[in-house]
Amino acid sequence: MAAQAATPGIAEPFPIFALAHRYLLYDIDVVSYIRREYNICGVLIGSLPQAPQQNVFLGLPVELLPEEARLLAEKGVAHIVNDVVKHKQSFLGNGLSPEERKAYQAALRKQGVGAAKEATKRTNDRKKTALKKKLDTEDWNDIPEDMLRPKAGRKKRGVVEKTKDSAEASVEESDDTLFASTTDSVPSRPTISQTSSVAGSSTESEPYAVTPTTSYPPLQSAPSSEARVSLPKVPPSYPLYKHLHTEGYFLAPGLRFGCQYMAYPGDPLRFHSHFLVNGMDWDQEFDLLDLVGGGRLGTGVKKAFLIGGQEEGGEQRAGGNAGGVKAFCIEWGGM
Amino acid sequence: MGAPSIAPSALQSFLGSTGSDSSQETQLLQLALQIAHNLRYQHNWDDIRIHYDSTTRIKSQPPIRPLISGFPPQRLYVHPDEQIEVLQKQKDEGKAGMPDLPREREWVLPSHLREKWSLRRFGEVFNAISTVPPQEDGEALFDDSKRAAHTKEGGDDSMEGAPTNKWRISQPKRLLLATLDDDSTVVYYIVHDGIVKPRQN
Repeated sequence: MAAQAATPGIAEPFPIFALAHRYLLYDIDVVSYIRREYNICGVLIGSLPQAPQQNVFLGLPVELLPEEARLLAEKGVAHIVNDVVKHKQSFLGNGLSPEERKAYQAALRKQGVGAAKEATKRTNDRKKTALKKKLDTEDWNDIPEDMLRPKAGRKKRGVVEKTKDSAEASVEESDDTLFASTTDSVPSRPTISQTSSVAGSSTESEPYAVTPTTSYPPLQSAPSSEARVSLPKVPPSYPLYKHLHTEGYFLAPGLRFGCQYMAYPGDPLRFHSHFLVNGMDWDQEFDLLDLVGGGRLGTGVKKAFLIGGQEEGGEQRAGGNAGGVKAFCIEWGGM
Repeated sequence: MGAPSIAPSALQSFLGSTGSDSSQETQLLQLALQIAHNLRYQHNWDDIRIHYDSTTRIKSQPPIRPLISGFPPQRLYVHPDEQIEVLQKQKDEGKAGMPDLPREREWVLPSHLREKWSLRRFGEVFNAISTVPPQEDGEALFDDSKRAAHTKEGGDDSMEGAPTNKWRISQPKRLLLATLDDDSTVVYYIVHDGIVKPRQN
């Protein structure tokens, strides 16, 4: 695939980690890759440990719906891995040989040294630019006086007028000398601060302790049979999910609108969603009131309410319309 | 005691002509008639017809559900792409706003709020209907002067054989789902047979 060539970092099949009936992705590269290539967004669920009530600006990991995980697994681009078993097997157990472990630790240390070096370099650069600025403007502390100067000029002009009125030139002279003395007195201060700051920065950097955010370097071995998990269990709406996905829709969980999925015609960052989706079995009975409620809510938010499911015997003649799935869109009649 | 002295309502006398046995067939017919009555006198629809033929093709279920077709007073549904095209045309002609589009005959599927429906039944109904309701099919319900007047003045837009809107043909089938409640409220929802993007109303 050309896509694979574009992102050499992602080797398919990539692992999806099953943990406590959730399907998680920890690697940001994989997350952006499946969003770009497979129209799957998932939901970011990671919060800061210090902010347990955080509910916006969440971060990694990404949780996938069972449908999403299943779709990726069925496509053969991902495999589901039992996170706990896998972790014990290859990380805490003897998954790594001593050499491998040593190599991994060395790699981590190297990463830490690199990070430390970069950090000191950055602070030094920042200092340098700051000092340069200081030298250009003579002094950082000069700013207040700098701001005073034009005012003084104005004042002076006022004074000049006054002096013209009163015809006393001596006042103007004394005014000038007053301001001149203040500007002269300034440069004595910065030199001290400059030397002190330079002296402070000249300590050697220690390697940073790196906490790896992913467990892959040690965990990138081929999928072992023990850690493998069977395909995720999916609700009866899965055929409709798959159908809409193959039609190019992005599907997001629909809790906010009381439905199963929201269908976006493109990336959710660029488009409003078109449909509130409810999938069901072909013979599953539903109340017309659900239809009225869904249709009315959908129309109220400029969407349509979409119900659908796998036609009976639709899988046999799947060649026709995308897996024999039928969908109906409901909109308010406006009367 | 005073029962004979109360005159039956318009709807009651309208339904009275259909017989009073309580078979499911009669019930469905009366449901359709009540919806038709609502369409005619509350929503000003014209040329309302009741179709038995199309629904007898639904073989799997014994109840034969009559469908209704009719002309709404204005165009009921404009696909968003058609709307864009129409507005663009208006702009090119230097006009503003939506023009009055020709009316289109619509399918109406009568239903009651207490019924249970399934995808299969919707699928069967859609399989049984054509994209555009046939002009002279079915039985005219309100055979009054209004209908005659309509056929006279509406010669341009509603006649059979007139070129049907290409958007109507290119889009999936649609019908108007009319749902009746016990208090004789009727709500109308447009149902499309496929994925159709929503209107930007």
